Amino acid sequence: MFKELDPLLHSELRLAVMSILISVEEADFVFIKEQTKATSGNLSVQIDKLSKAGYIEITKTFKGKMPQTLCRLTPIGRQAFENYIEALKSYIGNIG
Amino acid sequence: MENKKLNEKESLELIARMIRNTHENLETRGGKSMLVNGYTTFLTSIVIYFLVGYTHNPYYHLLWFIIPVVGIIWKYIDKRSHPQKVTTYIDRVVGYVWMVAGIIVWLSACAAFFSVFSMLPILFVVALMINTATIITGLVIKFKALTIGGSAGILLSFSLLIIFGLKSILIFALIFLLCMIIPGHILQYAEKKKRLKSRAYV
Repeated sequence: MFKELDPLLHSELRLAVMSILISVEEADFVFIKEQTKATSGNLSVQIDKLSKAGYIEITKTFKGKMPQTLCRLTPIGRQAFENYIEALKSYIGNIG
Repeated sequence: MENKKLNEKESLELIARMIRNTHENLETRGGKSMLVNGYTTFLTSIVIYFLVGYTHNPYYHLLWFIIPVVGIIWKYIDKRSHPQKVTTYIDRVVGYVWMVAGIIVWLSACAAFFSVFSMLPILFVVALMINTATIITGLVIKFKALTIGGSAGILLSFSLLIIFGLKSILIFALIFLLCMIIPGHILQYAEKKKRLKSRAYV
């Protein structure tokens, strides 16, 4: 039986952002941008979508005089990511 | 990276790749911190050893308080000039370990200098705390030089229970050479190598 894949996570950039955040406690926007090689505009939009869904938490702060945007996974986001992996496993299992 | 839809296999590959890349690209600057704190303690110890040895003026022991001041100033400058782009769970654990060790060392030092606890073997207490934090850090970040240096420091710190006076200050300096300066240089070399390697792949 195939489980439904979360449409919010089933897109390349949003899944990449979630995969980065699952392995760290929090990450700066610049770091995520470097890792995903996405454009700032596109990344901002996708991060905003994840934030509105409650999957990630965004903190805007300053480091010295430089503005900094920090992202971290919320418990809801972590659960959604785990569910997504479980759903993927059901697909891969059935293919194998 | 675009916002295209992925198939299941691509999704799994992307997750694995992003997690792997994130870990490979994590910046580490622990080596420099260890060197700053290690050299400050080492040099302060040597300076105090000679000043007190030649002048017999116990007030020179107040120079010990330079160490935390240098440490705090360094931390402030480093944070401003190199804002951390990512915080891992390991950073958090190591940060808490050093915060607790630092608070205990600071309270013990104040108690030994300014209160009735003047009989407290303060160099032993400080060496024990710092080396314990060093060993934990070494184990958490899986860096053998720190674990070995911290263990050697712990063993040597027990000698501070039987050796007193000016000689104990030299042993204290030696402990910091073993637990911070040598592992700090090795760690910095490893970090530099890692940075060069990651740049080579860009």
